[in-house]
Amino acid sequence: MSAAARRLPRDHAQWILPIIPFATLVVLWVVGWQIAQPTLATMPSIGQVWETVARLSGNGELWSNIGASLGRWALGFVVGVITGITLGVLAGLVPTLARLLEPPATFFTAISGIVWLPLAIVWFGLGAVTVTFVIWNSVFFLVFAGTLLGVRSVQPVYEDAARTLGAGRAHVVMRVVVPGAMPYILSSVRSGAGFAWRALIAAEIIGATTGLGAMIYKAKEFFRSDTIVAGVIVIAILGLAIDMLVLAPLERRTVERWGLVTSSRRPA
Amino acid sequence: MSGARKVASATAAPAGPVSLPGLSGAWRRRGRAIGLGLLYPLPFLLILLAWVLAKDLFGLSDDVLVTPAAVITSAGELVDFGTLPGDVSLSLKRLAIGSLLAAAIGVPIGLALGFSRYGAMMFDPFLRFFQAVSGIAILPLLLVWFGFSEATLQLVILYTALVPIIFSTMTGVRTIPPIYSQAIETMGGNRLRLVRDVYVPGALASIVVGVRLGIGYGWRALIAGEMLIGAGGLGFMIFDARRFHVIGQILAGMILIGVLYLIIDRLILKPLEDVTVRRWGLQRV
Repeated sequence: MSAAARRLPRDHAQWILPIIPFATLVVLWVVGWQIAQPTLATMPSIGQVWETVARLSGNGELWSNIGASLGRWALGFVVGVITGITLGVLAGLVPTLARLLEPPATFFTAISGIVWLPLAIVWFGLGAVTVTFVIWNSVFFLVFAGTLLGVRSVQPVYEDAARTLGAGRAHVVMRVVVPGAMPYILSSVRSGAGFAWRALIAAEIIGATTGLGAMIYKAKEFFRSDTIVAGVIVIAILGLAIDMLVLAPLERRTVERWGLVTSSRRPA
Repeated sequence: MSGARKVASATAAPAGPVSLPGLSGAWRRRGRAIGLGLLYPLPFLLILLAWVLAKDLFGLSDDVLVTPAAVITSAGELVDFGTLPGDVSLSLKRLAIGSLLAAAIGVPIGLALGFSRYGAMMFDPFLRFFQAVSGIAILPLLLVWFGFSEATLQLVILYTALVPIIFSTMTGVRTIPPIYSQAIETMGGNRLRLVRDVYVPGALASIVVGVRLGIGYGWRALIAGEMLIGAGGLGFMIFDARRFHVIGQILAGMILIGVLYLIIDRLILKPLEDVTVRRWGLQRV
Protein backbone atom coordinates (compact mmCIF):
# COMPACT_ATOMS: atom_id res chain seq x y z
CA MET A 1 0.00 0.00 0.00
CA SER A 2 2.60 2.51 1.04
CA ALA A 3 4.91 1.35 -1.71
CA ALA A 4 2.13 1.84 -4.23
CA ALA A 5 1.40 5.28 -2.82
CA ARG A 6 5.03 6.25 -3.15
CA ARG A 7 5.18 5.00 -6.71
CA LEU A 8 2.09 6.85 -7.80
CA PRO A 9 3.60 10.36 -8.22
CA ARG A 10 6.41 8.85 -10.27
CA ASP A 11 3.92 7.20 -12.59
CA HIS A 12 2.20 10.52 -13.04
CA ALA A 13 5.55 12.21 -13.65
CA GLN A 14 6.28 9.66 -16.33
CA TRP A 15 3.22 10.80 -18.25
CA ILE A 16 3.23 14.51 -17.49
CA LEU A 17 6.92 15.41 -17.73
CA PRO A 18 7.43 14.30 -21.36
CA ILE A 19 4.63 16.65 -22.45
CA ILE A 20 6.63 19.69 -21.27
CA PRO A 21 9.29 19.79 -24.05
CA PHE A 22 6.68 19.17 -26.75
CA ALA A 23 4.41 21.86 -25.27
CA THR A 24 7.35 24.27 -25.06
CA LEU A 25 8.17 23.65 -28.70
CA VAL A 26 4.55 24.30 -29.71
CA VAL A 27 4.43 27.52 -27.65
CA LEU A 28 7.71 28.72 -29.18
CA TRP A 29 6.35 27.92 -32.63
CA VAL A 30 3.07 29.81 -32.04
CA VAL A 31 4.70 32.83 -30.39
CA GLY A 32 7.62 32.91 -32.82
CA TRP A 33 5.26 32.73 -35.78
CA GLN A 34 3.10 35.57 -34.40
CA ILE A 35 6.15 37.79 -33.91
CA ALA A 36 7.96 37.02 -37.18
CA GLN A 37 4.85 36.56 -39.38
CA PRO A 38 6.82 34.55 -41.96
CA THR A 39 5.48 33.78 -45.43
CA LEU A 40 4.10 30.34 -46.20
CA ALA A 41 7.30 29.63 -48.14
CA THR A 42 9.39 29.96 -44.99
CA MET A 43 7.41 28.63 -42.07
CA PRO A 44 3.77 27.65 -41.64
CA SER A 45 1.65 28.30 -38.57
CA ILE A 46 0.27 25.34 -36.67
CA GLY A 47 -3.17 26.13 -38.06
CA GLN A 48 -1.86 26.05 -41.63
CA VAL A 49 -0.18 22.68 -41.02
CA TRP A 50 -3.42 21.32 -39.59
CA GLU A 51 -5.41 22.61 -42.58
CA THR A 52 -2.87 21.06 -44.93
CA VAL A 53 -3.10 17.70 -43.19
CA ALA A 54 -6.91 17.89 -43.40
CA ARG A 55 -6.83 18.92 -47.08
CA LEU A 56 -4.27 16.29 -48.12
CA SER A 57 -6.05 13.52 -46.27
CA GLY A 58 -9.39 14.74 -47.61
CA ASN A 59 -8.35 14.54 -51.27
CA GLY A 60 -6.55 11.24 -50.65
CA GLU A 61 -3.09 12.55 -51.59
CA LEU A 62 -1.69 11.90 -48.11
CA TRP A 63 -3.11 8.38 -47.97
CA SER A 64 -1.80 7.37 -51.38
CA ASN A 65 1.67 8.66 -50.48
CA ILE A 66 1.59 6.89 -47.11
CA GLY A 67 0.47 3.74 -48.91
CA ALA A 68 3.30 4.01 -51.44
CA SER A 69 5.91 4.57 -48.72
CA LEU A 70 4.65 1.87 -46.38
CA GLY A 71 4.26 -0.62 -49.25
CA ARG A 72 7.86 -0.18 -50.42
CA TRP A 73 9.12 -0.21 -46.88
CA ALA A 74 7.19 -3.39 -46.02
CA LEU A 75 8.29 -5.22 -49.19
CA GLY A 76 11.98 -4.36 -48.83
CA PHE A 77 11.85 -4.98 -45.09
CA VAL A 78 10.13 -8.40 -45.27
CA VAL A 79 12.42 -9.65 -48.06
CA GLY A 80 15.44 -8.27 -46.19
CA VAL A 81 14.42 -9.96 -42.93
CA ILE A 82 13.68 -13.34 -44.57
CA THR A 83 16.89 -13.42 -46.62
CA GLY A 84 18.94 -12.06 -43.70
CA ILE A 85 17.67 -14.66 -41.21
CA THR A 86 17.98 -17.55 -43.68
CA LEU A 87 21.54 -16.75 -44.66
CA GLY A 88 22.47 -15.85 -41.07
CA VAL A 89 21.24 -19.21 -39.73
CA LEU A 90 23.01 -21.08 -42.53
CA ALA A 91 26.27 -19.23 -41.87
CA GLY A 92 25.86 -19.82 -38.14
CA LEU A 93 25.55 -23.56 -38.69
CA VAL A 94 28.32 -23.87 -41.29
CA PRO A 95 31.50 -22.16 -40.03
CA THR A 96 33.17 -22.25 -43.45
CA LEU A 97 30.25 -20.36 -44.94
CA ALA A 98 30.46 -17.81 -42.12
CA ARG A 99 34.16 -17.31 -42.78
CA LEU A 100 33.40 -16.70 -46.45
CA LEU A 101 30.44 -14.38 -45.94
CA GLU A 102 31.53 -12.31 -42.97
CA PRO A 103 34.30 -10.17 -44.51
CA PRO A 104 32.22 -9.07 -47.54
CA ALA A 105 29.19 -8.57 -45.26
CA THR A 106 31.23 -6.14 -43.16
CA PHE A 107 32.18 -4.23 -46.27
CA PHE A 108 28.67 -4.17 -47.71
CA THR A 109 27.26 -3.00 -44.37
CA ALA A 110 29.53 0.03 -44.69
CA ILE A 111 27.89 0.96 -48.00
CA SER A 112 24.40 -0.38 -47.28
CA GLY A 113 21.38 1.70 -48.14
CA ILE A 114 21.53 5.03 -49.85
CA VAL A 115 25.04 4.62 -51.31
CA TRP A 116 23.54 2.12 -53.79
CA LEU A 117 21.01 4.65 -55.03
CA PRO A 118 22.88 5.97 -58.11
CA LEU A 119 23.66 2.45 -59.31
CA ALA A 120 20.12 1.27 -58.53
CA ILE A 121 18.70 4.16 -60.56
CA VAL A 122 20.88 3.17 -63.53
CA TRP A 123 19.86 -0.48 -63.18
CA PHE A 124 16.17 -0.18 -62.32
CA GLY A 125 15.22 3.40 -63.23
CA LEU A 126 13.44 5.87 -60.94
CA GLY A 127 10.66 4.39 -58.84
CA ALA A 128 9.46 1.52 -56.72
CA VAL A 129 12.05 -1.16 -57.65
CA THR A 130 14.96 1.16 -56.92
CA VAL A 131 13.52 2.26 -53.58
CA THR A 132 12.68 -1.32 -52.56
CA PHE A 133 16.19 -2.48 -53.48
CA VAL A 134 17.72 0.23 -51.28
CA ILE A 135 15.43 -0.77 -48.39
CA TRP A 136 16.30 -4.46 -48.76
CA ASN A 137 19.92 -3.47 -48.81
CA SER A 138 19.74 -1.51 -45.55
CA VAL A 139 17.90 -4.33 -43.75
CA PHE A 140 19.62 -7.45 -45.06
CA PHE A 141 23.18 -6.93 -43.82
CA LEU A 142 22.10 -5.84 -40.34
CA VAL A 143 19.78 -8.83 -39.90
CA PHE A 144 22.39 -11.21 -41.32
CA ALA A 145 25.00 -10.00 -38.80
CA GLY A 146 22.48 -10.10 -35.91
CA THR A 147 21.31 -13.63 -36.78
CA LEU A 148 24.87 -14.92 -37.07
CA LEU A 149 25.70 -13.43 -33.67
CA GLY A 150 22.52 -14.95 -32.22
CA VAL A 151 23.14 -18.44 -33.58
CA ARG A 152 26.68 -18.33 -32.22
CA SER A 153 25.36 -17.30 -28.81
CA VAL A 154 23.27 -20.47 -28.45
CA GLN A 155 25.17 -22.69 -26.06
CA PRO A 156 26.11 -26.07 -27.56
CA VAL A 157 24.78 -27.78 -24.42
CA TYR A 158 21.20 -27.07 -25.53
CA GLU A 159 21.84 -28.56 -28.96
CA ASP A 160 23.53 -31.58 -27.37
CA ALA A 161 20.65 -32.04 -24.97
CA ALA A 162 18.11 -32.04 -27.81
CA ARG A 163 20.23 -34.45 -29.83
CA THR A 164 20.68 -36.76 -26.88
CA LEU A 165 16.91 -36.87 -26.62
CA GLY A 166 16.82 -37.99 -30.24
CA ALA A 167 16.07 -34.78 -32.09
CA GLY A 168 17.01 -34.66 -35.77
CA ARG A 169 19.00 -31.92 -37.45
CA ALA A 170 15.94 -30.01 -38.68
CA HIS A 171 14.30 -30.24 -35.28
CA VAL A 172 17.41 -28.87 -33.57
CA VAL A 173 17.56 -25.94 -36.00
CA MET A 174 13.89 -25.03 -35.78
CA ARG A 175 13.33 -25.67 -32.08
CA VAL A 176 16.71 -24.88 -30.50
CA VAL A 177 18.96 -22.76 -32.71
CA VAL A 178 16.43 -20.31 -34.16
CA PRO A 179 14.50 -19.72 -30.90
CA GLY A 180 17.79 -19.39 -29.00
CA ALA A 181 19.01 -16.79 -31.48
CA MET A 182 15.65 -14.98 -31.54
CA PRO A 183 16.47 -12.15 -29.09
CA TYR A 184 19.51 -11.14 -31.19
CA ILE A 185 17.57 -11.58 -34.43
CA LEU A 186 14.74 -9.35 -33.29
CA SER A 187 16.98 -6.61 -31.97
CA SER A 188 18.70 -6.50 -35.37
CA VAL A 189 15.30 -6.57 -37.11
CA ARG A 190 14.24 -3.60 -34.99
CA SER A 191 17.28 -1.48 -35.78
CA GLY A 192 17.03 -2.63 -39.41
CA ALA A 193 13.47 -1.28 -39.55
CA GLY A 194 14.71 2.10 -38.32
CA PHE A 195 17.56 2.23 -40.84
CA ALA A 196 15.17 1.17 -43.58
CA TRP A 197 12.69 3.92 -42.72
CA ARG A 198 15.45 6.56 -42.92
CA ALA A 199 16.79 5.11 -46.16
CA LEU A 200 13.26 5.01 -47.58
CA ILE A 201 12.66 8.71 -47.09
CA ALA A 202 16.09 9.59 -48.52
CA ALA A 203 15.58 7.28 -51.50
CA GLU A 204 12.12 8.71 -52.18
CA ILE A 205 13.41 12.28 -52.01
CA ILE A 206 16.15 11.52 -54.51
CA GLY A 207 14.76 8.75 -56.68
CA ALA A 208 10.96 8.55 -56.72
CA THR A 209 7.93 10.57 -57.70
CA THR A 210 5.48 9.20 -55.14
CA GLY A 211 5.68 8.48 -51.41
CA LEU A 212 6.13 10.74 -48.40
CA GLY A 213 9.75 11.59 -49.23
CA ALA A 214 8.81 12.65 -52.76
CA MET A 215 5.81 14.56 -51.39
CA ILE A 216 7.91 16.80 -49.12
CA TYR A 217 10.59 17.29 -51.75
CA LYS A 218 8.01 18.32 -54.35
CA ALA A 219 6.50 20.73 -51.80
CA LYS A 220 9.89 22.46 -51.60
CA GLU A 221 9.73 23.22 -55.34
CA PHE A 222 6.40 24.95 -54.81
CA PHE A 223 7.58 26.73 -51.67
CA ARG A 224 4.93 25.02 -49.54
CA SER A 225 6.53 24.77 -46.12
CA ASP A 226 3.15 23.70 -44.69
CA THR A 227 3.24 20.48 -46.73
CA ILE A 228 6.89 19.88 -45.75
CA VAL A 229 6.22 20.27 -42.02
CA ALA A 230 3.05 18.16 -42.24
CA GLY A 231 4.96 15.46 -44.12
CA VAL A 232 7.86 15.49 -41.64
CA ILE A 233 5.44 15.05 -38.73
CA VAL A 234 3.66 12.17 -40.50
CA ILE A 235 7.04 10.54 -41.27
CA ALA A 236 8.09 10.80 -37.62
CA ILE A 237 4.79 9.47 -36.28
CA LEU A 238 4.77 6.52 -38.68
CA GLY A 239 8.41 5.71 -37.88
CA LEU A 240 7.68 5.85 -34.15
CA ALA A 241 4.48 3.81 -34.53
CA ILE A 242 6.26 1.03 -36.41
CA ASP A 243 8.90 0.89 -33.70
CA MET A 244 6.78 1.31 -30.60
CA LEU A 245 3.59 -0.51 -31.57
CA VAL A 246 4.99 -3.39 -33.60
CA LEU A 247 8.68 -4.02 -33.09
CA ALA A 248 9.25 -3.10 -29.45
CA PRO A 249 6.39 -5.34 -28.15
CA LEU A 250 7.54 -8.14 -30.46
CA GLU A 251 11.07 -7.88 -29.11
CA ARG A 252 9.89 -7.70 -25.51
CA ARG A 253 7.63 -10.72 -25.89
CA THR A 254 10.34 -12.72 -27.61
CA VAL A 255 12.89 -11.98 -24.93
CA GLU A 256 10.36 -13.03 -22.30
CA ARG A 257 9.36 -16.12 -24.23
CA TRP A 258 12.70 -17.31 -25.59
CA GLY A 259 15.34 -15.20 -23.90
CA LEU A 260 17.85 -17.54 -22.34
CA VAL A 261 18.23 -15.35 -19.28
CA THR A 262 14.67 -15.16 -18.02
CA SER A 263 13.14 -18.21 -19.65
CA SER A 264 11.99 -20.92 -17.30
CA ARG A 265 11.12 -23.22 -20.16
CA ARG A 266 13.40 -25.99 -21.16
CA PRO A 267 14.89 -25.28 -24.56
CA ALA A 268 13.75 -28.21 -26.68
CA MET B 1 29.31 -38.75 -33.98
CA SER B 2 29.57 -35.07 -33.19
CA GLY B 3 28.53 -35.75 -29.62
CA ALA B 4 31.41 -38.18 -29.20
CA ARG B 5 33.81 -35.63 -30.63
CA LYS B 6 32.64 -32.97 -28.22
CA VAL B 7 33.00 -35.26 -25.22
CA ALA B 8 36.46 -36.24 -26.35
CA SER B 9 37.61 -32.66 -26.77
CA ALA B 10 36.20 -31.72 -23.41
CA THR B 11 37.98 -34.43 -21.47
CA ALA B 12 41.07 -35.42 -23.44
CA ALA B 13 44.28 -33.45 -23.85
CA PRO B 14 44.01 -30.22 -25.89
CA ALA B 15 46.27 -31.78 -28.54
CA GLY B 16 43.28 -33.54 -30.08
CA PRO B 17 42.96 -37.09 -31.35
CA VAL B 18 45.46 -37.04 -34.23
CA SER B 19 48.38 -34.90 -33.10
CA LEU B 20 51.26 -34.67 -35.52
CA PRO B 21 54.50 -35.50 -33.76
CA GLY B 22 57.08 -32.73 -33.85
CA LEU B 23 54.56 -30.00 -34.61
CA SER B 24 53.90 -28.07 -31.40
CA GLY B 25 50.53 -26.51 -30.59
CA ALA B 26 51.89 -23.00 -31.07
CA TRP B 27 53.07 -23.79 -34.58
CA ARG B 28 49.83 -25.40 -35.55
CA ARG B 29 47.96 -22.42 -34.21
CA ARG B 30 50.18 -20.14 -36.21
CA GLY B 31 49.61 -22.25 -39.30
CA ARG B 32 45.88 -22.01 -38.70
CA ALA B 33 46.10 -18.25 -38.29
CA ILE B 34 47.99 -17.94 -41.58
CA GLY B 35 45.36 -20.15 -43.20
CA LEU B 36 42.63 -17.87 -41.90
CA GLY B 37 44.57 -14.83 -43.07
CA LEU B 38 44.72 -16.30 -46.55
CA LEU B 39 41.02 -17.08 -46.34
CA TYR B 40 40.12 -13.46 -45.66
CA PRO B 41 40.63 -12.08 -49.21
CA LEU B 42 39.13 -15.23 -50.74
CA PRO B 43 35.46 -14.11 -50.62
CA PHE B 44 36.41 -10.82 -52.25
CA LEU B 45 38.22 -12.71 -55.01
CA LEU B 46 35.10 -14.85 -55.47
CA ILE B 47 32.98 -11.70 -55.76
CA LEU B 48 35.37 -10.33 -58.39
CA LEU B 49 35.14 -13.62 -60.25
CA ALA B 50 31.33 -13.61 -60.11
CA TRP B 51 31.36 -9.99 -61.23
CA VAL B 52 33.54 -10.71 -64.31
CA LEU B 53 31.54 -13.86 -65.13
CA ALA B 54 28.21 -12.07 -64.78
CA LYS B 55 29.33 -9.37 -67.18
CA ASP B 56 30.53 -11.96 -69.70
CA LEU B 57 27.74 -14.52 -69.41
CA PHE B 58 24.87 -12.05 -69.54
CA GLY B 59 26.66 -9.88 -72.06
CA LEU B 60 26.03 -6.77 -69.96
CA SER B 61 26.93 -3.53 -71.69
CA ASP B 62 29.21 -0.95 -70.10
CA ASP B 63 26.11 1.12 -69.40
CA VAL B 64 25.01 -1.53 -66.89
CA LEU B 65 28.19 -3.02 -65.49
CA VAL B 66 31.87 -2.49 -66.26
CA THR B 67 34.78 -4.79 -65.49
CA PRO B 68 36.76 -4.42 -62.25
CA ALA B 69 39.70 -3.25 -64.37
CA ALA B 70 37.54 -0.45 -65.79
CA VAL B 71 36.70 0.64 -62.24
CA ILE B 72 40.39 1.01 -61.48
CA THR B 73 40.87 2.94 -64.74
CA SER B 74 37.95 5.24 -63.79
CA ALA B 75 39.43 5.84 -60.36
CA GLY B 76 42.80 6.60 -61.99
CA GLU B 77 41.16 9.09 -64.36
CA LEU B 78 39.41 10.83 -61.51
CA VAL B 79 42.69 11.13 -59.63
CA ASP B 80 44.39 12.48 -62.78
CA PHE B 81 41.65 15.08 -63.28
CA GLY B 82 42.20 16.01 -59.66
CA THR B 83 38.49 15.75 -58.81
CA LEU B 84 38.66 12.64 -56.62
CA PRO B 85 41.10 13.94 -53.95
CA GLY B 86 39.01 17.12 -53.82
CA ASP B 87 35.75 15.23 -53.36
CA VAL B 88 37.24 12.96 -50.69
CA SER B 89 38.69 15.80 -48.66
CA LEU B 90 35.47 17.81 -49.03
CA SER B 91 33.33 14.95 -47.71
CA LEU B 92 35.73 14.20 -44.85
CA LYS B 93 35.94 17.89 -43.92
CA ARG B 94 32.16 18.16 -43.83
CA LEU B 95 31.89 15.04 -41.68
CA ALA B 96 34.62 16.25 -39.32
CA ILE B 97 33.07 19.71 -38.84
CA GLY B 98 29.56 18.35 -38.45
CA SER B 99 30.43 15.62 -35.96
CA LEU B 100 32.81 17.79 -33.91
CA LEU B 101 30.08 20.44 -33.61
CA ALA B 102 27.56 17.75 -32.72
CA ALA B 103 29.82 16.39 -29.99
CA ALA B 104 30.63 19.87 -28.67
CA ILE B 105 26.92 20.72 -28.41
CA GLY B 106 25.47 17.27 -27.69
CA VAL B 107 27.69 16.11 -24.84
CA PRO B 108 27.02 19.11 -22.52
CA ILE B 109 23.28 18.91 -23.28
CA GLY B 110 23.26 15.18 -22.62
CA LEU B 111 25.14 15.64 -19.34
CA ALA B 112 22.77 18.40 -18.23
CA LEU B 113 19.69 16.28 -19.01
CA GLY B 114 21.18 13.25 -17.33
CA PHE B 115 21.90 14.99 -14.01
CA SER B 116 18.36 14.54 -12.83
CA ARG B 117 16.11 11.53 -13.15
CA TYR B 118 13.23 13.83 -14.01
CA GLY B 119 15.26 15.65 -16.67
CA ALA B 120 15.93 12.36 -18.41
CA MET B 121 12.31 11.29 -18.00
CA MET B 122 11.14 14.60 -19.44
CA PHE B 123 13.30 14.54 -22.57
CA ASP B 124 13.36 10.83 -23.38
CA PRO B 125 10.23 10.80 -25.63
CA PHE B 126 11.20 14.18 -27.11
CA LEU B 127 14.57 12.83 -28.22
CA ARG B 128 12.96 9.62 -29.49
CA PHE B 129 10.61 11.71 -31.62
CA PHE B 130 13.50 13.59 -33.22
CA GLN B 131 15.43 10.36 -33.66
CA ALA B 132 12.51 9.27 -35.85
CA VAL B 133 12.85 12.46 -37.93
CA SER B 134 15.96 11.72 -39.96
CA GLY B 135 18.25 14.51 -41.12
CA ILE B 136 17.29 13.85 -44.73
CA ALA B 137 13.59 14.28 -43.87
CA ILE B 138 14.20 17.85 -42.67
CA LEU B 139 16.43 18.56 -45.66
CA PRO B 140 13.57 20.02 -47.77
CA LEU B 141 12.82 22.49 -44.97
CA LEU B 142 16.50 23.43 -44.66
CA LEU B 143 16.60 23.89 -48.44
CA VAL B 144 13.71 26.33 -48.21
CA TRP B 145 15.50 28.24 -45.46
CA PHE B 146 19.13 28.15 -46.56
CA GLY B 147 19.01 27.12 -50.22
CA PHE B 148 21.41 24.67 -51.89
CA SER B 149 24.28 25.76 -49.69
CA GLU B 150 27.09 24.45 -47.57
CA ALA B 151 25.15 25.55 -44.48
CA THR B 152 22.26 23.21 -45.36
CA LEU B 153 24.62 20.27 -45.70
CA GLN B 154 26.43 21.05 -42.45
CA LEU B 155 23.14 21.41 -40.57
CA VAL B 156 21.96 18.02 -41.87
CA ILE B 157 25.11 16.30 -40.53
CA LEU B 158 25.02 18.27 -37.28
CA TYR B 159 21.37 17.42 -36.64
CA THR B 160 21.79 13.76 -37.61
CA ALA B 161 24.77 13.22 -35.32
CA LEU B 162 23.43 15.39 -32.49
CA VAL B 163 20.41 13.33 -31.42
CA PRO B 164 22.21 9.99 -30.81
CA ILE B 165 25.03 11.82 -28.99
CA ILE B 166 22.62 13.62 -26.62
CA PHE B 167 20.66 10.43 -26.09
CA SER B 168 23.64 8.22 -25.38
CA THR B 169 25.29 10.76 -23.06
CA MET B 170 22.07 11.22 -21.10
CA THR B 171 21.56 7.46 -20.75
CA GLY B 172 25.21 7.09 -19.76
CA VAL B 173 24.86 9.52 -16.86
CA ARG B 174 21.62 7.90 -15.73
CA THR B 175 23.15 4.44 -15.58
CA ILE B 176 26.00 5.46 -13.26
CA PRO B 177 25.25 3.73 -9.93
CA PRO B 178 24.19 6.47 -7.46
CA ILE B 179 26.69 5.20 -4.89
CA TYR B 180 29.52 7.09 -6.63
CA SER B 181 27.87 10.49 -6.48
CA GLN B 182 26.66 9.76 -2.96
CA ALA B 183 30.24 9.00 -1.92
CA ILE B 184 31.46 12.34 -3.32
CA GLU B 185 28.57 14.22 -1.70
CA THR B 186 29.17 12.53 1.67
CA MET B 187 32.76 13.67 1.57
CA GLY B 188 31.62 17.22 0.92
CA GLY B 189 32.30 17.43 -2.81
CA ASN B 190 30.40 20.16 -4.66
CA ARG B 191 28.52 19.98 -7.95
CA LEU B 192 31.65 20.71 -9.97
CA ARG B 193 33.55 17.82 -8.38
CA LEU B 194 30.54 15.63 -9.06
CA VAL B 195 30.58 16.49 -12.76
CA ARG B 196 34.34 16.19 -13.07
CA ASP B 197 34.88 13.04 -11.03
CA VAL B 198 31.65 11.09 -11.47
CA TYR B 199 29.43 12.13 -14.35
CA VAL B 200 31.99 12.74 -17.10
CA PRO B 201 34.23 9.71 -16.46
CA GLY B 202 31.22 7.53 -15.65
CA ALA B 203 29.43 8.46 -18.85
CA LEU B 204 32.56 8.54 -21.03
CA ALA B 205 32.05 5.06 -22.46
CA SER B 206 28.46 5.92 -23.43
CA ILE B 207 29.58 9.26 -24.86
CA VAL B 208 32.09 7.52 -27.15
CA VAL B 209 29.45 4.97 -28.18
CA GLY B 210 27.06 7.85 -28.99
CA VAL B 211 29.71 9.72 -30.98
CA ARG B 212 30.49 6.59 -32.98
CA LEU B 213 26.81 6.04 -33.70
CA GLY B 214 26.34 9.72 -34.56
CA ILE B 215 29.24 9.67 -37.02
CA GLY B 216 27.82 6.50 -38.60
CA TYR B 217 24.42 8.12 -39.12
CA GLY B 218 26.08 11.40 -40.12
CA TRP B 219 28.17 9.75 -42.83
CA ARG B 220 25.06 8.27 -44.49
CA ALA B 221 23.16 11.55 -44.20
CA LEU B 222 26.17 13.36 -45.69
CA ILE B 223 26.30 11.06 -48.74
CA ALA B 224 22.54 11.41 -49.30
CA GLY B 225 22.72 15.18 -48.74
CA GLU B 226 25.60 15.58 -51.18
CA MET B 227 23.57 13.81 -53.86
CA LEU B 228 20.86 16.45 -53.51
CA ILE B 229 22.88 19.60 -52.83
CA GLY B 230 25.17 19.17 -55.82
CA ALA B 231 28.17 21.00 -54.39
CA GLY B 232 30.88 18.34 -54.66
CA GLY B 233 31.81 15.51 -52.32
CA LEU B 234 31.69 11.75 -52.83
CA GLY B 235 27.89 11.54 -52.73
CA PHE B 236 27.64 14.11 -55.51
CA MET B 237 30.37 12.37 -57.47
CA ILE B 238 28.56 9.02 -57.65
CA PHE B 239 25.20 10.68 -58.22
CA ASP B 240 26.51 12.89 -61.01
CA ALA B 241 28.25 9.94 -62.70
CA ARG B 242 24.79 8.30 -62.92
CA ARG B 243 23.58 10.98 -65.31
CA PHE B 244 26.22 9.99 -67.86
CA HIS B 245 26.00 6.27 -67.07
CA VAL B 246 29.66 6.20 -66.07
CA ILE B 247 29.34 2.99 -64.07
CA GLY B 248 33.08 2.79 -63.42
CA GLN B 249 33.00 6.08 -61.52
CA ILE B 250 29.92 5.07 -59.53
CA LEU B 251 31.50 1.77 -58.46
CA ALA B 252 34.86 3.42 -57.68
CA GLY B 253 33.04 5.98 -55.55
CA MET B 254 30.99 3.32 -53.74
CA ILE B 255 34.08 1.26 -52.92
CA LEU B 256 35.85 4.38 -51.70
CA ILE B 257 32.88 5.36 -49.53
CA GLY B 258 32.89 1.88 -47.96
CA VAL B 259 36.64 1.81 -47.39
CA LEU B 260 36.69 5.32 -45.89
CA TYR B 261 33.85 4.47 -43.54
CA LEU B 262 35.53 1.24 -42.43
CA ILE B 263 38.76 3.17 -41.77
CA ILE B 264 36.92 5.80 -39.72
CA ASP B 265 34.75 3.30 -37.86
CA ARG B 266 36.93 0.21 -37.43
CA LEU B 267 40.41 1.71 -37.28
CA ILE B 268 39.69 4.92 -35.35
CA LEU B 269 36.36 4.92 -33.52
CA LYS B 270 36.06 1.24 -32.53
CA PRO B 271 39.54 1.07 -30.92
CA LEU B 272 38.78 4.37 -29.17
CA GLU B 273 35.54 2.88 -27.88
CA ASP B 274 37.28 -0.30 -26.71
CA VAL B 275 39.95 1.66 -24.84
CA THR B 276 37.34 3.90 -23.20
CA VAL B 277 35.11 1.02 -22.19
CA ARG B 278 38.06 -0.86 -20.72
CA ARG B 279 39.40 2.15 -18.85
CA TRP B 280 36.21 3.90 -17.75
CA GLY B 281 33.40 1.45 -18.45
CA LEU B 282 31.30 0.58 -15.43
CA GLN B 283 30.03 -2.68 -16.82
CA ARG B 284 32.41 -5.57 -17.11
CA VAL B 285 31.84 -7.06 -20.51
